[in-house]
Amino acid sequence: MRRRTFLRTAGAGSVVALAGCTGNGDQNGTPSDTPQDGSSGDTQQNGTTTTGDPERTLTVATYSSFTGEDTAGNYLKSAFEDDRDDVTVEFEVPENGLNQYILQKQQGSNVSADMYLGLNTAELVRAEDELDAELFLDSRGDLDRADAIKSDLEIDPEGRAVTYDTGYITLVYDEDEVDSPATFDELLEPAYEDALITQNAQQSDPGRAFLLWTIADQGEDEYLDYWQGLLDNGVRILSDWEPAYNAYLDGSAPMVVSYSTDQVYYHGPDVDMSRHQVGFIEDQGYANPEAMARFADTDTADLALEFMDFVLQPEQQAEIAVKNVQFPAVEDADPGEGFSEYAYEPPEPVTHTYDELQGKVDGWIEQWARQIAGP
Amino acid sequence: MTADRTISRALQRAALPVGVAATIAVLLVVFYYPVGHVLVSAVREGGHLTIEPIRAVLTDPFYAGVAHHLFVDPLGVPAGVVDWIAAGFPSVRLGLFGFTAYQALLSTVASVLLGLPGAYVLARYDFRGRRTIRSLTLVPFVLPSILVAVGFRAMFSRRGLANDLLGAVGLGPVELLGTLQIVVLAHAFYNAPLVTRLVTTAWEGVDRRQVESARSLGASRIRAFLHVVLPALAPAILTGAVLTFVFTFMSFPIVLTLGGLDLATVEVWIYARVQSLALQEAATLATLETVLSLAFIYVYLRYENRQVTTRGGGQSLPRERLVAGWRSLFDPRRLAIAAYVAVVAVVIVGPLVSLLVESVTDPSGSFTTAYYEFLLARQSSGAVGTVRPMPAVINSLVFGAGTLLLAIPMGVVVAVVATRGGRGSRVAEAILTAPLAVSGIVVGIGLLLTFVFGTTVAGHRLVVTGPVAIVFAHAAAAYPFVTRNVAPALGGLDPRLREVARSLGATRLRALLEVELPVIAPALLAGAAFAFAISIGEFDSTVLLAEGVDSYTMPVALERYVGTRSLGPNLGPATAMGTVLLAVTAVSFVVIDRLGGRWEP
Repeated sequence: MRRRTFLRTAGAGSVVALAGCTGNGDQNGTPSDTPQDGSSGDTQQNGTTTTGDPERTLTVATYSSFTGEDTAGNYLKSAFEDDRDDVTVEFEVPENGLNQYILQKQQGSNVSADMYLGLNTAELVRAEDELDAELFLDSRGDLDRADAIKSDLEIDPEGRAVTYDTGYITLVYDEDEVDSPATFDELLEPAYEDALITQNAQQSDPGRAFLLWTIADQGEDEYLDYWQGLLDNGVRILSDWEPAYNAYLDGSAPMVVSYSTDQVYYHGPDVDMSRHQVGFIEDQGYANPEAMARFADTDTADLALEFMDFVLQPEQQAEIAVKNVQFPAVEDADPGEGFSEYAYEPPEPVTHTYDELQGKVDGWIEQWARQIAGP
Repeated sequence: MTADRTISRALQRAALPVGVAATIAVLLVVFYYPVGHVLVSAVREGGHLTIEPIRAVLTDPFYAGVAHHLFVDPLGVPAGVVDWIAAGFPSVRLGLFGFTAYQALLSTVASVLLGLPGAYVLARYDFRGRRTIRSLTLVPFVLPSILVAVGFRAMFSRRGLANDLLGAVGLGPVELLGTLQIVVLAHAFYNAPLVTRLVTTAWEGVDRRQVESARSLGASRIRAFLHVVLPALAPAILTGAVLTFVFTFMSFPIVLTLGGLDLATVEVWIYARVQSLALQEAATLATLETVLSLAFIYVYLRYENRQVTTRGGGQSLPRERLVAGWRSLFDPRRLAIAAYVAVVAVVIVGPLVSLLVESVTDPSGSFTTAYYEFLLARQSSGAVGTVRPMPAVINSLVFGAGTLLLAIPMGVVVAVVATRGGRGSRVAEAILTAPLAVSGIVVGIGLLLTFVFGTTVAGHRLVVTGPVAIVFAHAAAAYPFVTRNVAPALGGLDPRLREVARSLGATRLRALLEVELPVIAPALLAGAAFAFAISIGEFDSTVLLAEGVDSYTMPVALERYVGTRSLGPNLGPATAMGTVLLAVTAVSFVVIDRLGGRWEP
């Protein structure tokens, strides 16, 4: 209790000594984040808070469906606020996602949020490509729970973005109409003529994941030829997951690019699950991890770090999985049977690493879009 | 007393110039400065002016299609044309710009064909509910594209109502989703009512005495129509066509949601470039797009000016009863109207009804009230960040009212400038009408880069967000519609009316307010309804400016409900919110029209 007061007044002076308490000091190199590192490990372990403390506010930027009634975001807010007194979590939901903060940084104005939740690898790459200054602080080294994260879901070699959940992009198909294709090349065969609906990779997460998956499989020099093959075989590219999925439900085509958690929505006593089969091409699924990161401009870096560790606790991970219908990022979370029974993990998750995407992903997508649009 | 009068006269005399200045000031803040900020980046690189980005676009066959030869090798063009003819006119590559213009042309033709008969029926026939239907013609115009997409899907998808009907007569199924046809159809859904609305207003303004004197001089019905009525309608038809062309040229949400990527328009591409932060390329495309749209509007304004006919505040043409005894139902004109109503039922009413049905139907097709319960639960929720329906409704109405307060004076001021004539008034009008020609994405990104992030003006950091900014942005988008409705009416007014008033000592302002406006009230009212409609339906800049939780509107709430993951792939809550939006706006239009009815001469 007194320690917290002390921390605030003593500021940077106490940092060196306290940094050790967080367990891992090797990411503390940058001057900007050192003053705030101290409190994280301690307060977390103590779990106690000061009643007389002025309110601390954490502004979390995220996507709109993460906040509001019955969402993972709102659950996290209440749980975190209950866990410590005098903390308020606020959400900011910019229409254009991370771009908002990249632009703010480019324009020289202060980034208005403390952290971002819902980052994917391609966005991280874009932030790096677009900015000279660092948008994010390093966090991974200062987190107690970092080592619990499944290693194949980590997206940032530099430890700024920390994964908190993931989806796997797969095919969803109607087994009465079609067999799940075993390989990507099979999709070019006449059996799959006019059979697949996917999404526009320029604006849709699953659409981009499917495109990247084909690039991972076919190679970056051949993927455009492969897509020409798909086009010739009648693939349809709709704007986003929702219209694509609804076109699939309407019977426009027997297969759609979607998530391996599809059955979570649809299972039920009198539901015909034959229309909701999950197909893993090449026994794979493309992992689309969602990560969180602290903005470099934040003045509550310590609180943000506490929040990140909180998000990675097994209990919160299980709740996020259920409420956000994504897989937990850590090994030791159990989202419960209702979820596990109907959410499938691919035998072999694939994804592009940060280094593979760097400087390339926007170009790949534009070339692809030109190939499709080519008027 | 005399001093008072002198001051009051001076004030009245100053009112118009002050109005012009205020209009320009609002436009500078919410439109020209932000948009200029975006467009300038298209011609500046490292602090220097350059045409390189524009040249790069024009010489790229992907963008310019076959026209890129014009910019790459102008001298080779005649030879190329000869080769093309010699090869037997093979199909040419349109390029993104060419394709965009092509689909806009198709959409315009479809909208005018679908809209004109509606104006004929509404202006020339009397029937129960005529005025209500007339009010409701604006409803499609305000619907957010996501909602229209849902309605269209419910109507025209593989299992939609249209295919059910086709199936019943042994045809189909027709796969329309993702095709050019459905994009054109959706554009017609949006714009045909616009054509109907504009032309109906013009038709009702036709002076019956002119038609009657033509007839009494021996003109046949057709001749009287061609020589008296049609010239009076032409400006409205042309306004409708040009607006439709410009809107569909800049179309993006409909193409995105109903078409596939293979139908991408320039605007879709700008959106995608903005998404990947290739802002300069986006700005270059936006500049070219804006130049083209402005050119269309300028050409049209010139034409419209010549078409204006003199007319006073005469009586409207008498309307026939639509149903006069059941035998009249078999007269060929009534049969044609019935066929037209059937087409309207499929293309315009069908999607709306399908939307209502979707809001009370679960994925398996049975009745549910779950989505309305969802809205109620949201309304009573205390959870932070919850988008509640009631504040959205209230915000929409308040912003709409604020928009009316700003857009009507702005629109009238510009209309007065436009009808004053003289050198440069067309150019001035085109510049003042520019908000019509600039896409929402460009305005949105400009606002974001300037006021939302803050801009430094004369040493002060200015940040404009929240309700006032939203109303400003809505007014800037809406007032051209007031102008477009008022200017032709004002221009067509018998100038003697004004001159008499002036000669009796009225100031220009007083003559405008007390003599001219009452006469053109129906046109003003139509403009007001449009302004309100624009405000209610506006999404692109609202969503950028509505940062806090307290300034979201109905379309923003609707968009937020689309992405509710806990409900799965389900548009139910959005369709329920859409139904609320539909109901609120429909009632508003009827109210605006009815209240306005009191002014009608």
